[in-house]
Amino acid sequence: MLANLGDWLNDRFGWRGIWEAIFLRKVPHVNWFYTLGSASLFVAINQAITGILLTLYYVPTPDHAYDSVVYITTQLPFGWLIRGLHHWGASAMVVLVVLHLLRVFFYGAYKFPREATWMTGVILLIVVIGFGFTGYLLPWDQRAYWATTVGTRIAGVAPYVGDFLLKIARGGPELSAVTLARFFGTHIWVLPTTLALLVVIHLYLVIRVGISAVPAKDE
Amino acid sequence: MNKQEQQDYLDKYKKAKEKGVPFFPDIIFKDTIVVFIVFIILIALAYFVGVPLEARANPNDANYTPRPEWYFLFLFQLLKYFPGNLEVVGAMILPGLFITLLLLLPFIDRSPKRHFMTRPYASIAAIVVVLGIGLLTWLAVNEAPPPIQAAVVDKAAALYATDCANCHGQGIVIPEGTDLHKLIAAGNHQGMPAWGGDLSADEIDMLAGFILSPNGSALFTQECASCHKSPVLASGNPVQLQKVFDEGKDFPAHKDLNTPDWKSTLTPDQENALLNFLAAPDGQRLFAINCQGCHGEGVGFSGTKEELRAMIEKGGHEIKMPGWKDTLSADDLNTLAQYVVDPEANSAGSTMFGKYCAACHGDKIPAAPDEASALSIIALGGSHITMPVWGEILTAEQLDALTSYTWDTSQGVGVASGEKLFASNCRGCHGKFGEGGPNPTFPGDMIFPISSSEYLKTRDDATIRNIISQGQPDYGMTPFGSAYGGSLSDEQIDAILGFIRSWEANPPSVSPPKAPPVVTQPQELSASQIYGSLCAQCHGVNREGTASGPALDPAQLRAEFDDQALHDMINNGVLKVAMPGLGNMFTDDQVKKLVILVAGTETGTSTGSGTVPKPPTNSTVSFNDQVLPIFQAKCSMCHSSATTFGGWDSTSYQAVMTSGDNAPEVIAGDPDNSYLMQLLQATNGAFMPPTGKLSDEEIQIIMDWILAGALDN
Repeated sequence: MLANLGDWLNDRFGWRGIWEAIFLRKVPHVNWFYTLGSASLFVAINQAITGILLTLYYVPTPDHAYDSVVYITTQLPFGWLIRGLHHWGASAMVVLVVLHLLRVFFYGAYKFPREATWMTGVILLIVVIGFGFTGYLLPWDQRAYWATTVGTRIAGVAPYVGDFLLKIARGGPELSAVTLARFFGTHIWVLPTTLALLVVIHLYLVIRVGISAVPAKDE
Repeated sequence: MNKQEQQDYLDKYKKAKEKGVPFFPDIIFKDTIVVFIVFIILIALAYFVGVPLEARANPNDANYTPRPEWYFLFLFQLLKYFPGNLEVVGAMILPGLFITLLLLLPFIDRSPKRHFMTRPYASIAAIVVVLGIGLLTWLAVNEAPPPIQAAVVDKAAALYATDCANCHGQGIVIPEGTDLHKLIAAGNHQGMPAWGGDLSADEIDMLAGFILSPNGSALFTQECASCHKSPVLASGNPVQLQKVFDEGKDFPAHKDLNTPDWKSTLTPDQENALLNFLAAPDGQRLFAINCQGCHGEGVGFSGTKEELRAMIEKGGHEIKMPGWKDTLSADDLNTLAQYVVDPEANSAGSTMFGKYCAACHGDKIPAAPDEASALSIIALGGSHITMPVWGEILTAEQLDALTSYTWDTSQGVGVASGEKLFASNCRGCHGKFGEGGPNPTFPGDMIFPISSSEYLKTRDDATIRNIISQGQPDYGMTPFGSAYGGSLSDEQIDAILGFIRSWEANPPSVSPPKAPPVVTQPQELSASQIYGSLCAQCHGVNREGTASGPALDPAQLRAEFDDQALHDMINNGVLKVAMPGLGNMFTDDQVKKLVILVAGTETGTSTGSGTVPKPPTNSTVSFNDQVLPIFQAKCSMCHSSATTFGGWDSTSYQAVMTSGDNAPEVIAGDPDNSYLMQLLQATNGAFMPPTGKLSDEEIQIIMDWILAGALDN
């Protein structure tokens, strides 16, 4: 019965080919360090799901942001868990992608034929850092407000275009409701779509070229 | 890497792959284990550590030490080494260079070597970078001031600065007897918000202490804050506080802590300031904390205020109760003793208590454990040893405040004084029990009963206070609040409110009489009748003036105004002082007669008809034809008599003018202060309708209507 259904679907979708290409492909013997990429992907999915749940209650305005975060943390059933997973997931993400990068670096896996995989990976690292920076402001507490004040101020030190960059980052000369709105927009729309696109390319390249083998001592 | 090397690698990789394992299930299995461990760690962190959330962002708090998320700390630290003009190096050039290097790494390092031992330069560079970032992070963590130390600021001063200073400036002078705690918690109707929702009781006490003794707050921060996180002592017991000084190092809680002997460390002035901060000289709070347990709501006292203060100061040892055994018979003594132990047991005791004891004991019946001890106390008399010697415990300021409050309660403020105030200010129109009756200023209009449970349940305190304070000019009710030109202080209005609220518990037993419709038509009233029923409310029956209106001296009026000016004033009212205009109620002729009545005739000027123009017909906007349709289309789905969101009903003129949590929502002639306009124009942050602003035209119509006096036309 199930086999019949599988056949029926395969005739139409051709999923067995995809399954074989992705899951049944042979890979070299590798060690536990090779799980860091998958762990990063898992945390990214965790961030997406908890992030979506948070937006159901979070209000991105200075009047209500703090209160809505307090509400999520203290009143909402399992709100503490959702916010806790999202908060700690952010740190875990940074740790995992940096370890992943170091693994790739020390195994020389960025070399031929995986240069493009490495480059998308580096851009993904920048996106992850962007997530951390924009997400930090959203609770609108003292820590968020002042860290972002200092953080955006850094944009202002660029020669010639500093003031312009600062205004773009803050949406005005000071941190305001506009800043919160654009950090929120960046955090939930711009960065996730970028991340999703890059992850797809990154994974496609990993599957197409194959994961690197652990280099031998003489390699 | 040349073509040959590339091909070599591909061949080698192919072999490695053939010797390898399938991705599923071997690799997936490992991944799943790691993912599971990561997930468990995340849940554990969320559960055991939680997510820190600091105080709400406060853009005015420039003292806050910003701390970025931990993974940015190294950048933060890096910036410190590039001060001034060099900042761009640390902020832009170095990070930019690093990212570019990282991105282009495959093209920079093109050797075929892969094992990290075979490419020492790259490996060493990577290790240096990792260690460098680690070192910078470590330095940042250690150099930044620890958060606890950064938090040692004068919390009370900070609270004052954020919550109070915007309106009150550097400090507030508090009138004696103010219930400061309640005032801060509940706000007042002159625009002060109620802080009770945002601040805890301790914080309010702390604020009250700071307002009354700012120096004490600074001392607390300096001397005590390293151990006492926040002055939770503010609501504490002054007896204990005084013991800290009296017992010095022997004070039980300080015994093992190696604290200084505060008595010798602080000057008497400092001690005073500190005590005033910790137990604010706020009579009501002091009474509630220290006296209520024995004295209940208040103390009956018939002496002078000075005697009261002396009595509180000296405490119970000085209060001698006479021994009654020589004055009363044994039977009487027994009756009294029985009554004191159980007031229900012997009703004869009640009369006797009233006769002999109530002068000092007031309504509060002193409790005794059993009849025998009660009898011996009554028979032998003695001092009231359970009452402490407050003079040794409280500071002079606290004693003053406590005396002042106790004195006021003994004079019967609260419901009783509210009743008096109601009788003198409100009874004329609202009736003895708030049952309403004919409206003296609007013939034919009936004043709604304000004592019905429906009325009282649907108006909150703020609404009723607003109505008393601001009046309802459109119904002829003048403002009574001193802020609006009336004669009543906030406290008096609160007392009236208290009295009105007392109806809720005990509804008036007399049902409102059915008042006959008013027969007199306004046009038939003579000038002196109009003066007597309307003008005299503020200007006095004999034009002598009252707290709400100036005296009307014909000579003086003549010197300042001509007929026309006086006519306009009476006809249109004077918005600034909330004097209602009479032009809509009475004929032009009656207004002219009123002018003559109050100011006599203007010598040399004819007062014949023709010199005085008709009242300005600026009421071109019609409520029924223009304003009401807007309300019906845009507001009534939420604001009707069936669904009164915000307490406001937009479906009739009457309701528009009187209903609403912020009633009146419309202040005739003053669109800027009409809450309705503030909402429509979003001038106060909040806005209506929630579905989007009304068109400019619609807003203009409503504004014109309010400007023209918000008439029912």
